[in-house]
Amino acid sequence: MATQESLGMRSFRVLTGAVLITWLILPLIPLAIWSFAKGWFYPDLLPRNWSMRAWEYAMSDTAGVLDSLWLTIWISLVATFLSILVGVPAGRALGMYKFRGKEIVELMILAPTIVPGIAVVLGIHSVFISMGLNNTVHGVILVHLIPTLPYMVLVMAGIFSNYDPAFEAQARSLGASPLKTFWYVTLPAIRPGIIVGGLFAFLVSWSQYILTLLIGGGRVETLPLLLFNFATSGRNDITGAIGMIYILPGIIILLLTAKHLSGRSGAVGGFGQI
Amino acid sequence: MTHVSIKELTKVYPGAEAPALDRLSLEIPTGELTALLGPSGCGKTTTMKMIAGLLEPTSGDVMFDGRSVLRDKPENRGVVMVFQNYLLFPYMSVAENVGFGLKMRKIDPAEISRRVGEMLELVKLPHLGDRKPSALSGGQQQRVALARALIVQPNVLLLDEPLSNLDAHLRFEMRDLIRSLQQEMGITTIFVTHDQEEAVVLADRVALILDGQMKQYDRADVFYKRPVDEATARFFGGHNFIPGTSDGHSFECALGKLALPAGAVSGTGRLTFRPENVRIGSGQEQENLLTAQIADIIYLGTQTRLKLIVCDTEVEAVVNPNEIESYGVGDTLPVHLPRTTLWVI
Amino acid sequence: MSDRMKIFLLLLPAMFIIVVLFFGGLAIGAMRSFNYMPVIGLTQPNFDAYISVFTDREFYLSFALTFHIAFTSTVISSVLAIGAALLLRRSFIGRGLVNFLFQINLTVPHLVGAIGMLYLFSQSGSFARLAAEFNLIASPADFPALVFDPYAIGIILQYVWKEIPFIGVIVLANMQSIGEDYESVARSLGASKWQTFRYVLLPLIFPGVLSASVMVFAFTFGAYEIPAILGANFPAALPVLAYRKYTDVDLAARPEAIAMAIVIALLSAVMIYFYVRYSRRRIRG
Repeated sequence: MATQESLGMRSFRVLTGAVLITWLILPLIPLAIWSFAKGWFYPDLLPRNWSMRAWEYAMSDTAGVLDSLWLTIWISLVATFLSILVGVPAGRALGMYKFRGKEIVELMILAPTIVPGIAVVLGIHSVFISMGLNNTVHGVILVHLIPTLPYMVLVMAGIFSNYDPAFEAQARSLGASPLKTFWYVTLPAIRPGIIVGGLFAFLVSWSQYILTLLIGGGRVETLPLLLFNFATSGRNDITGAIGMIYILPGIIILLLTAKHLSGRSGAVGGFGQI
Repeated sequence: MTHVSIKELTKVYPGAEAPALDRLSLEIPTGELTALLGPSGCGKTTTMKMIAGLLEPTSGDVMFDGRSVLRDKPENRGVVMVFQNYLLFPYMSVAENVGFGLKMRKIDPAEISRRVGEMLELVKLPHLGDRKPSALSGGQQQRVALARALIVQPNVLLLDEPLSNLDAHLRFEMRDLIRSLQQEMGITTIFVTHDQEEAVVLADRVALILDGQMKQYDRADVFYKRPVDEATARFFGGHNFIPGTSDGHSFECALGKLALPAGAVSGTGRLTFRPENVRIGSGQEQENLLTAQIADIIYLGTQTRLKLIVCDTEVEAVVNPNEIESYGVGDTLPVHLPRTTLWVI
Repeated sequence: MSDRMKIFLLLLPAMFIIVVLFFGGLAIGAMRSFNYMPVIGLTQPNFDAYISVFTDREFYLSFALTFHIAFTSTVISSVLAIGAALLLRRSFIGRGLVNFLFQINLTVPHLVGAIGMLYLFSQSGSFARLAAEFNLIASPADFPALVFDPYAIGIILQYVWKEIPFIGVIVLANMQSIGEDYESVARSLGASKWQTFRYVLLPLIFPGVLSASVMVFAFTFGAYEIPAILGANFPAALPVLAYRKYTDVDLAARPEAIAMAIVIALLSAVMIYFYVRYSRRRIRG
């Protein structure tokens, strides 16, 4: 109902909007300030001395923060790539076909999005020990697939349910090989889904803590593990710097894909895991 | 029982250049059933929402019995709007849907259930109270939406495309139901439609709106016989527009000099007549008898559409297929344009 | 190739990963919680781990605390998210910024939010300093304990911070796809603004709110790093307790830890039931 609102109602909106904006950025402010602080002691509202020390430390080759950043990017990229590889066919099956037992398959794929990682990872850990996968990057990537794959499948199922396979039949009848048909017909049609699903998979992997901690056994030190360690050891300035580095990719990804995102897409559920 | 006056009603949506509705004025007498007719996007639904108080006009006024209602909240106007897609609340049963307005008025539940029963009886769905809307057919949903609106005994009832989602055979049933309920309860009713047939079938009077402006406001048959201009005539399926000069009694044009009915205007203008009013002549007619050559014959099942050349001018006609069985393309035949079916615009 | 074969092959890799890793992890965990592990010679399943979990007072305290965290966070976030969605539905100065921050916030990992909350609400944090500036407190100890506290206020604040945007975005999309016409109908039938919200909009968005809430509840019940950063030592949240037991030097505590993980899994199974009942849109896009 687009009736014009009273002035009071409009001021109320602006006011609550302002409260909301403040609340949303509030926790990030002390992190940002700490990263430039040189000691920030109670009861100072702002640091007395500023410094780039924390950033210099984070960016130095010896501190291991950059190594950790590259490692985290690598793990998330591979987990994303594998999720796409495996998730696209599964999404096609769920989006385009009706078959007996489909509800059960859907339920099985949905389950990891709701069951917390701690509930499954303890069991996996003992198996990975016997397979020699614990404390390895491979093991961590594999275990990251548990939370990332379901979102990929859900997004692709959504895409394929609106996809008309007649285009493929048309291409084949015009003489395209199956491979060419996939490359020139199927792929362009499902690309938006792959992008959105892939970005979600990346972010979900990027934010994993407990899975990495247990399977990596502390040897595979991704950015969140490093961040946690600095946060609990009281190095607030370095924690601030790493925290800033850690949230950057998510923001970049958001800026790149804002137009693809809407709350209606099944992928938004992925945000619940971040 | 409410007389509705719409005065210079205008709506400009923020950011839009042209107004969605441009100074519409309309008087709708108490108890009448009026159609707002126009192509989609002409401002009909905007008008209804402004009458209902769901949208604020940019300028102009809406008055009920001479009193402006613009300051009244939608729930206090006594106007109920029935949307095109019915919008039955999906999580409520049919009976709960129908009783919704009474519940909002905090009426005693026993009284609500009694009146819901009566209302469902009235729309001929007495046994469906416990169903969910999703279990009903389109026509049944429409009737529930109507019952839900009528139960609050509105002063003004607004219907958005009431027949357009229905199959042909349901249309007439629904038309009869709407007309009989409306007349029984004497509710001033306005409905919008883009379908001239729907307007003609249901309404006492039709207001034609083209490009945000009202073209003509008349009884339905007048639009066929006496359209105000070519756009109006075309909207109602008119085809033949022949330029010429009228002296009030006859019309001088490419077809010759044709006799006009009483009331025709003088001056230069266009002669218009509906294709279905073109008759195959018997040769006995005293006036307006012409000779035509058949340029094309399009068989449409129950009728046949002819493209005729009369004195180098193309004329369209619709005739009974039996009448021209013996004719083919290129043949000539006599045609008669009855005086009372001609009109000058 | 028949359709059945095609479907089978398309699903095979994904189902393999999910069955082996996810359900395999659960199954192995369940076996270990019953002390049944034939490969290492444990062939006599028993309930020892569950008995010691269910006779331990700390478990009940942890469970109660975790339930309190999850329930309180979910309820507060859902209510405020509905409010935020109502706010964002209309245009006002600053709406674009709120929208943008909502989405930014979605991408910020919980861990970062938790550290932010720590710096804001600890007894030497920003709010304590602000209180000192206005002479409301004389020393940090006077500032109310909002982190490491028995009521888990800091943890709940962090979840509320993260989940308002999450539920809000889902509810807002829900409202936009429902449109405003149902509410128009209600208004024209005589419902006031409040009645329209109570009897029309709320029931319409309820399934969406519920399915988002279920996800939030399950997440907040099973998350480790947030209570590990912001929670008190005793009682600790259940996932923290389970992790501690699992990494205890005494390997005999491992089955107990896994038994706790199984309790968490069972609770999430209940959540899945609600989720599936109320969310039909998920897979069919």
